[in-house]
Amino acid sequence: MRWVIGALGAAMGAWGALLLVPLVDVDLALWFVGGPVVHDLVLAPLFGGVGLLIARWVPKPWRAAVRVGGALTGVLVLLAVPLLWRPFAGPPNPGLDDRDYLVGLLVATGAVWLGVAAVALVAHRKRPHAGR
Amino acid sequence: MKRTSSPHTATRVGRWLGIAFGLCFVTGLLSHYIQHPPGWFAWPTRPVGLYRVTQGVHVTSGVAAIPLLLAKLWTVHPKLFERPVVRSLPHALERASIFVLLGASFFELVTGLFNATQNYPWRFFFPPAHHAVAWIAVGALLVHVAVKLPLMRTPAEEVRRGTLSRRGFLLATGVAAAVAVLATAGGTVPWLRTASVLGTRSVRLPVNRTASAAGVSAVDGDWRLTVGSRRFSRAELEALPQTTAELPIACVEGWSASARWTGVPVRDLLALAGVEPGDVRVESLERDGLYRASTLPAAHARDPLTLLALAVDGETLSLDHGYPCRLIAPSRPGVTQTKWVARLEVVR
Repeated sequence: MRWVIGALGAAMGAWGALLLVPLVDVDLALWFVGGPVVHDLVLAPLFGGVGLLIARWVPKPWRAAVRVGGALTGVLVLLAVPLLWRPFAGPPNPGLDDRDYLVGLLVATGAVWLGVAAVALVAHRKRPHAGR
Repeated sequence: MKRTSSPHTATRVGRWLGIAFGLCFVTGLLSHYIQHPPGWFAWPTRPVGLYRVTQGVHVTSGVAAIPLLLAKLWTVHPKLFERPVVRSLPHALERASIFVLLGASFFELVTGLFNATQNYPWRFFFPPAHHAVAWIAVGALLVHVAVKLPLMRTPAEEVRRGTLSRRGFLLATGVAAAVAVLATAGGTVPWLRTASVLGTRSVRLPVNRTASAAGVSAVDGDWRLTVGSRRFSRAELEALPQTTAELPIACVEGWSASARWTGVPVRDLLALAGVEPGDVRVESLERDGLYRASTLPAAHARDPLTLLALAVDGETLSLDHGYPCRLIAPSRPGVTQTKWVARLEVVR
């Protein structure tokens, strides 16, 4: 079974490589390599670093909630990047990509932190001795 | 406290990610084949919103995959610092295959997200690159599954480590995927339009390419629609029996919007012109541009709901919506719903 899955995967990957070869240039290669590099050198250390700060500064019963809120904020910020950073966007179209995304991002982030705070409060009430 | 990688949690998140990638791959291939149909491929005309659903699933599953991929990498992050870097030839191959998997996965998710917002910070042509790398991503994913299959039965860790419990981590990952979907899905799900603050669509029926962007200026009374050897003025089209149908425009970029279109069925026009039905080439007044013409497959050309629309929601088409007439066919990508139509021609 493992060999069947592996062989199928290798064949599909080879087909993709065959389709990709005529398109490859420096720009495309950088976009291919860029994802893992940016993740390993920027995103992961950033998230880990913020986690350490939270472990250091946030009282124990609130740590998990603050971490989840931080992670959700991070996801929302990543999703907002192509909407807020648009020097390479096409001409504007009526009714598309034309909302106020900065306000939207702030509203969504606010809602996330409210939700996280509510869940943390409820959990805290249920276990009043947690963290002692 | 030293974090170690956690095969059980990695497998659980990996399974969700696998489902998201699988949905994204299949719906993406469908969209590719609808636009570049190989001989063996046929796409149904019913239900009318079929493409709306498949392409909505494509973009939504891609968005959900972003937090899932990040969570998955977080569970295995300690393995990045494994020493020695390479233990053996199989180990080197495995690490290389994971690099290919991650390169291809990030490429697909990031370029897809940017393309969905019509933002192109690269020089390559998006559709063929996104299609080719999709095969590499799914191929590398299957190789990865084959390599890790024995680890998938690892029992859950008993000890609680770090700030979040194992269940807490999985729950937070699920919530992150749900938040990402909620924040964006309003582009295609009507009742989420206001709630999805990061959705692309801000009005009920957007215009994806304006007349001025397409280089089409006001159309005068000399305009005629050519079908075979017949020519129709707009008044003649208005005098023909009209069909009204609720049909969606479903863009490859993932947004979609339904509206009530009124116009003349394409098959009636072909019959009036006395041409045998078949695949129909639809040409626009647009001088150039990638999507100035489209080919309507024979099944769609025969369909009574494939219209040359003259009005939308009871009002004459505006120039931006394709005046004097536009194609609107059930279950087709938006880029093939040609606007400012000037000619219909049966090609085979």
